[in-house]
Order: sequence, then C-alpha cells, then structure tokens
Amino acid sequence: MLEFHTEKFIIPIGPQHPALKEPGHFEFTVDGETVTGATMRLGYVHRGIEKGVEGRNWTQAMYMLERVCGICSHVHATAFVLGVERLANVQVPPRAQAIRTLVGELERIHSHLLWLGVAAHEGGFDTLFMFSWRDRETVMDLLEELSGNRVHYSLNVIGGVKVDITDEIREHLLKGMDYLEERCKYYLNVISTDETFLGRTRGVGLMTLQQAEDLGAVGPTARASGVQRDIRIDAPYAGYSQFPVRLVTESTGDLHARFVVRIKELFESFRLIRLILANLPESELTTRVPRRIPAGETISRVEAPRGELFYYIKSNGNEYPERVKVRTPSLCNWSSVIVLAPGHKLADMPMLLSGIDPCFSCNDRMITIRHTDSNRTWSWEQLRQYGIEYYR
Amino acid sequence: MDAQRPLNETGVLNLQDILQHAVSILQKYSHLYSYVESNRLDVFIERNHLKPAIKAILDAKWGHLSAITGLDHPGQPDASDPQHQKDHLEVLYHFCQKSIIVTLRVSLDYHDARLPSICDLVPVATLYERELMEMFGIHIENTPDPSRLLLPDDWPSGVYPLRKSFKGLENTSTMS
Repeated sequence: MLEFHTEKFIIPIGPQHPALKEPGHFEFTVDGETVTGATMRLGYVHRGIEKGVEGRNWTQAMYMLERVCGICSHVHATAFVLGVERLANVQVPPRAQAIRTLVGELERIHSHLLWLGVAAHEGGFDTLFMFSWRDRETVMDLLEELSGNRVHYSLNVIGGVKVDITDEIREHLLKGMDYLEERCKYYLNVISTDETFLGRTRGVGLMTLQQAEDLGAVGPTARASGVQRDIRIDAPYAGYSQFPVRLVTESTGDLHARFVVRIKELFESFRLIRLILANLPESELTTRVPRRIPAGETISRVEAPRGELFYYIKSNGNEYPERVKVRTPSLCNWSSVIVLAPGHKLADMPMLLSGIDPCFSCNDRMITIRHTDSNRTWSWEQLRQYGIEYYR
Repeated sequence: MDAQRPLNETGVLNLQDILQHAVSILQKYSHLYSYVESNRLDVFIERNHLKPAIKAILDAKWGHLSAITGLDHPGQPDASDPQHQKDHLEVLYHFCQKSIIVTLRVSLDYHDARLPSICDLVPVATLYERELMEMFGIHIENTPDPSRLLLPDDWPSGVYPLRKSFKGLENTSTMS
C-alpha cells in the first residue's frame, strides 16, 4: 500500500499545442483527476533576439525587437524607442507621442479580444470564441488602414512615428470604437451571467493579493487579484501623462476576475482613443536623432497588454546597442500557474494556462544560431529556397 | 479633457521621498551609489551583502523585483561605471516602485562567477536565475531548479551565448 502512494502519475502536455497554438511543455503530476504538481519548460521558440540586436544598428534593432512578439509588436518597439530617445536626449513631438499611445491602445484592444477568444475556446465556448475573433477583425482592419500592416504595424521610428491620423481614419476609428464598445458590453454581460461560463471560471485559479505580490504577477492577471499597479499610471510614458487612464482592478482573483478586468480595460481603451482623437496635438511627426547614440544606460518600462514590459538598454556611444535586456510580462506570470495548479482538476489546466494570457514568443527570445560564414545577407529568393529545402 | 488628476502632482512630490527611503534602507549595505537618471538609483554592492540588502528591501515593502539583467564587460573600461575597469561580469537586480527604479549592481570576476540564489526571498527569481546560468555561465548557489530553461537540449555545455566572446557555434547541427 505504501508503494502505491509513492508512485507518481505524470501527464505531459506540449510542447505541441499545450492549450494554445504555441509551444511550451508542462508536466502535471496527478492523483486521479486532481493535479498535485506542475513543472514547465520553455524555449521552443527561442530566437536569440537579445544577442541578435548587439550586431545590428539602432534602427535595425528596433525592427528586430518589434518581432519579439506578433501580438504586441508596437509596445516592444515603443519601449525600445522611448529608451533610445532618452539616451539620445531628444524630445519627441507631442503628436507622435499621442499617436504612439493611440496605437498602443488599439493594440491592447486586439490583444484582449484575441485572448477572450482563446480563453473562451479553452473553456469550450466556441461561439464566444468566434464572435470575439470576428469583432477583433474590426480593430485589425483599422490597424491595417492606419499603418498598412495587420501584425507588425511598424509605425515607430527613433524620434517619432511615420504615419499620421487623417480625418478619414479618424472617422473610421470612431465608428470602430462605437461598434466594439457595444460588443464588449454584450461580452461583459455574457461572462457575468451565463451559468455554464461562471461554472468554469468562478473560484478557479484563485490567487490572493498576497500571492499575486509574492509570485510577481503583472498586468491584468495581477490586477484581477487587486494589485494596484499599471505602468501607464505609475510611470506615464509617451502620451499617458497627457491622456491619463484609470486603473481597473478586481478583488476576487479568480479566472472570472481576469475576464472582467480585461474587458473593463477595453472600455478604458475606447475612452482613451476617443479622447486622443478629440485632442490630437498639432506638431511634426518626427525629430532628428543622431545615428550614434551617446554612451549610457537607461531603463524603459511600458504597460503591454499582458503587463509590465521591461527594457534595459545600454549604449557605448557607437552605432550598435551594447546590450538590450527584455523582460516580458508573460515570464512573470508563469510562476502563478505553476503554483496555483495543484488542487485543481486536470480539465481546468487549459483555462488556467490561458488565463494569464501567455505569450510564448515573448518568453523565448535570445539566441541566434548562425553559420560562421553567414554574415552575408540572404536574398528573398535564397530565403524562400532555404524554406523549401528545410521542409522538404 | 478629463479633469487634471492630482496623481501626477503627488507623483512628482513623492519621487524624492521614495528615493530617499531606498537610500536609507540600503546605506547599511553599501556607500557606493549614484543617481543615474532622475528616477533611478544604482547601488554597487558586494556579493555577500546581496541577500541581506534584498531582504531589507522586501522587509520595508519597497517595491518589487522587476527583472535581473546580466552584463558582460570584456576588456574596455566602462565609462558609465568608473568603479570597475577590468574584465568582469555584472548582474543587475532591478527593483521598482511607482516610477522609481533601484538597481543593485553586483560585479563578478570571470573565474569566480557565482552568486547566492535569492529564490527563498523572491520565488519568481528562479526564471531569471536559470537564464543567468544558461546565458552568462554564472553559477547560482542553491537555486531550486538549475535545469535548462531556454536553450536546446543539445546545446554544448560551457558555451554561454550572451557573453561577448560568443560569436556563434562552430557546429551548427541545430540548424539543419
């Protein structure tokens, strides 16, 4: 009988599609249906970006860092350019800062709606998933209209932005916000009243305020447990001192609170976008920045859709960054999953995993593996050929 | 526009207080500190003072650990940090409260690159510590989980990609 109790049954999940369509590996120790322990392994989409930027000039580095994440690309570029501009000691025109803020909020809308769909899907609510992703297309279309791109909007440059808000786009943005606000009211109602939905979310993955602080949770995950922290408010950057946001928190700390916080944050985003569009400052869009950034180091913190994004940037006074350290919000939130998992049913794991809105690409950055002779540039045709050979 | 909120006002006023508070907590452990930017304080600290200093920050409830950064300074003298002119590794522990960032800076020799784990004080540090071990080859004593976090399983041991001396692997079997 003793032996029976010492044996562990481990269920590996991932690296292919552990709840989400992204790679990560988890091992859950179970006793019957109940999870008793959890471990994880990351790095499956590790690309070596931190090392990569050390061999690129400041502008190239910005484009590379934008590619840390396909969901919150703008916020990565923003964190980086804000830091570089501080090192170069240049003042960015107010209109550019306002546009950065505006796009930051558009990005938050698309990211939160994406998450709402994924989380709903993991809970088995596929209609909600398809509804929210359909509505997300509204904001994707707006981003494309504004920047020409759906995913990597690339509208930051060091020293400003490269797109302006025309009257036509302003009209479309306002119309889009009206539509999305109506939809989000509906979603808030659904997730707060639907019995089956509440059954899957209320009291699940409970994290107290103390736990959230001890585990270092950030962003909506932490705010759902009552942590009063939002970089947009604590340390306003870009246009946030001119266009302040209101803090959204919940106190229950369960999965349901994480849904509520994110949807309520969307209402703040709609309000802020309207406010910015009504008060867009008139100015240039860019300012001149020297190619060599003066020696020094700085820290740039911004509020990504998933929480505090931290950049440490060091310059030695030449054309290349000496060191860029990126600490993404998903990394902070992982430990909450690992600690909270024991005691829950195995079936709750997908929702618990997606509850923190993890972004695997964000976790996994740093190393590039290059052939020793590969400082050469690849042409599009060569890259294409390489891809064909690789998957043959 | 919204009514001007008092938060910005008080934020500016509190800034100095929060910084002063940090200095009063940390002066017991180091007298070497510098105000690098208006919202940042860097404190140069010896390895054996690291844990007591972090414990003091946590006991005083001063902010949270935001990140740990590893740095490699091979050869060239470092203009921003005149205290350390020779080859060394450096580990930065960034603590944040509101807009203030306090950084504890620990300098390490290449031949003695080890640090105590702070996971018993800050559990979330485990991921940062594993990253430091893999990327910089810094030995973290008593870290709860020393296994690999990010690099592939077949990555050669003793190769630390974020050190400046790393220029790429000779054998790139991982690519093909």
